[in-house]
Amino acid sequence: MKVFVTGATGFVGRYVVARLVANGHEVTAFVRPTSPVATLQTAIETGHVTVARGELSTGLGLADAMSGHDVIVHLAAVKGGDYFSRFAGTVVGTENLLKAAQAANVTELVAISTFSVYEYAALKAGSLFDESAPVVTNPKGRDEYTETKMYQDELYQDFGALPGNRMVMIRPGMIYGRGEEWHPLLGGDLGPVYLRIGSKVRPPIVYVENVADAIALAAQHLHSPANAPVGDIDGLVINLVDDHLPTQDEYVNKLKVLAIGSDSITFPRYVKVPFQVMKAAAVAAQAVNVRVFKGRAKLPGVAVPAQIDARFKSFRYSNQRAKSALGWSPRFSLDTALERCVSKRDLAADILAAPAQES
Amino acid sequence: MPLNQSDRPLRAAVIGTGAISAQHLAFLSSSPRANLVGVCDLSPVSAKVAARRHDAGGSFTDAAAMLDIVNADVVHILTPPNSHGFLARMALDHGAHVICEKPMTATSDEAVALLNHASLAKRHLVENHNYRFNDDVVTMHDNRVAGTIGTVREVEIRMALPVRDPKGRFADENLPNAIHKMPAGVIHDVLTHMVYLLDHLSDHATWDTVSATWSNHGGGDLFKVDDLDTVLVGHHANGSVHGRLRFSAQTSPDSFGIIVRGSEGQMSTDLFHPFLDIRKARAVGSQLTPIANHVVNGASLARAGFRNFGQKLLQHSPYHGLARFLDETYTAFAAGTTPPVTPRDIITAAQLIDRMVGQMRLTQGATQ
Repeated sequence: MKVFVTGATGFVGRYVVARLVANGHEVTAFVRPTSPVATLQTAIETGHVTVARGELSTGLGLADAMSGHDVIVHLAAVKGGDYFSRFAGTVVGTENLLKAAQAANVTELVAISTFSVYEYAALKAGSLFDESAPVVTNPKGRDEYTETKMYQDELYQDFGALPGNRMVMIRPGMIYGRGEEWHPLLGGDLGPVYLRIGSKVRPPIVYVENVADAIALAAQHLHSPANAPVGDIDGLVINLVDDHLPTQDEYVNKLKVLAIGSDSITFPRYVKVPFQVMKAAAVAAQAVNVRVFKGRAKLPGVAVPAQIDARFKSFRYSNQRAKSALGWSPRFSLDTALERCVSKRDLAADILAAPAQES
Repeated sequence: MPLNQSDRPLRAAVIGTGAISAQHLAFLSSSPRANLVGVCDLSPVSAKVAARRHDAGGSFTDAAAMLDIVNADVVHILTPPNSHGFLARMALDHGAHVICEKPMTATSDEAVALLNHASLAKRHLVENHNYRFNDDVVTMHDNRVAGTIGTVREVEIRMALPVRDPKGRFADENLPNAIHKMPAGVIHDVLTHMVYLLDHLSDHATWDTVSATWSNHGGGDLFKVDDLDTVLVGHHANGSVHGRLRFSAQTSPDSFGIIVRGSEGQMSTDLFHPFLDIRKARAVGSQLTPIANHVVNGASLARAGFRNFGQKLLQHSPYHGLARFLDETYTAFAAGTTPPVTPRDIITAAQLIDRMVGQMRLTQGATQ
């Protein structure tokens, strides 16, 4: 199978490329014109990775690079900057990618979405959270990341609805991994203070190498539905979270132990604030904003109720569909994953040496 | 006969949905003077999302098709500068007034040609000079006209922006910004603002000598220049006047400073960190005037601190002048009167940029 991967040098992409190669596939890594490819070096040395250079937000290089592939894995997204930077990189980039795919008759897409597009405020705390959860339809009150990913999802759905096209949408929870151990579901920066919001909530986290396993399986089963565990995955949305999700306190405590003596984990100084207190403060701030400022004030995310819910509300997250539809199970437990984060191992080399998961 | 003598809002169409479109579209979707009938962008999703966010009548990917359909009274051209001429002519030929983002053209000759086209079409063509309509600039201008600081003798405009920031929109080697192809390179993006403010606050001086030093301190191929220091000497109806235009990419914080010095006082502000400092003769005698100025301006600075915090919270950004500019321009279009930014203003700014660009010596590193 020939797989076209965008965002290939990124935090997730480097592991996805290695996993696809380890599973026996040929990969084209689509990379920006001047981006270094050091993160792919081990995979490139296998001889099964071709680097194609271009620019998603303008479409540069896409048409030439795209033809002859079986499946696209679209990981590229802009996570920083203002709304317009994110829109150009994430939404227009996806539009250009899918237009080129259509022109090149590449019809199979593993579309990477996010938990951020879910409408958390609409669900009761403590309820089961799976793929049936409602998604955001009005991005007001949510951040630019959510809004642009929401538009990106619409493009995915449009592509998948075209005759002859096949699409599976993967929604990972908060992905952690080497260099990204301290994640936004633990709290938020508020000037000089880092607020750790909540302690007993079990956030929907998933280790990056487990995500790579799932994405590779999704590409394989989309392309070869006969081999899929329970049937064709075309059109499915699949959430990814690890097994045995830790509470925020459990996660931070494990990280704290590993951070001692580690030069790779940066551990911010923080103040703990209960979720209920932060939610009440955000609701009060919103009420003042609406009554006094007619809703015109732009408040930091930790002072917006919808964003507090999206990041810190407690649910029971399910990964049953990922397990049944993909035959996936998280290869690495939290303890092993965190140890891999702080180790000096070449993780790509490990992946290339490890067998594919049995479906 | 004016285009619109009734009270009906003018039918507005927008071409281009980049960052500056947020300000235009926010005005168009909230002003009673405008009815947003169409948004156009080459990217279908960009046009569709912008139309959805701002309740536009429709979204289009072909400007000519949009203009054929929506019967716009006013067209906003918000695309990269190299497309302005073509699109402005198209909109004028469709019978619409045009509001064009700066820089409207690369040269003054092109600006004159485009304005002539508008004149023949009996429509207005207006370049966005939004900072002229910012609160503090309006106050400074009113004070200048009122003679608060006597006769204007010096105007200094200084802008500092981190255009070399690797995460910024100008330094991305993977996605070269179209502005780099303009005669003044990346500085062309803000130079129009600087020169129209110089003209506006200098009592429309005529500049007899212009000495521009362009530098490329950061080097490399993407940036043509990243620094400008221009000294001007000229005159207006009441005598001589000096000017200075300074752009820096090496200093911080971001700033857009304006100092106007007159024969009897001076005024200063920073449009990115707004405050207004006016030093003038006070009615307490010459001995106590310095103290009075310190007290008054100290209080003004303290008030500005609180006001700026509130304005940041309420998103009253340095772009706030754009809504006032558009409101006055739409009012003029509807009434059939002269818009606040005239062809003379546009050509004067473009000609001064031409003179500065004419002194550019293109060698690498710090140079003239």
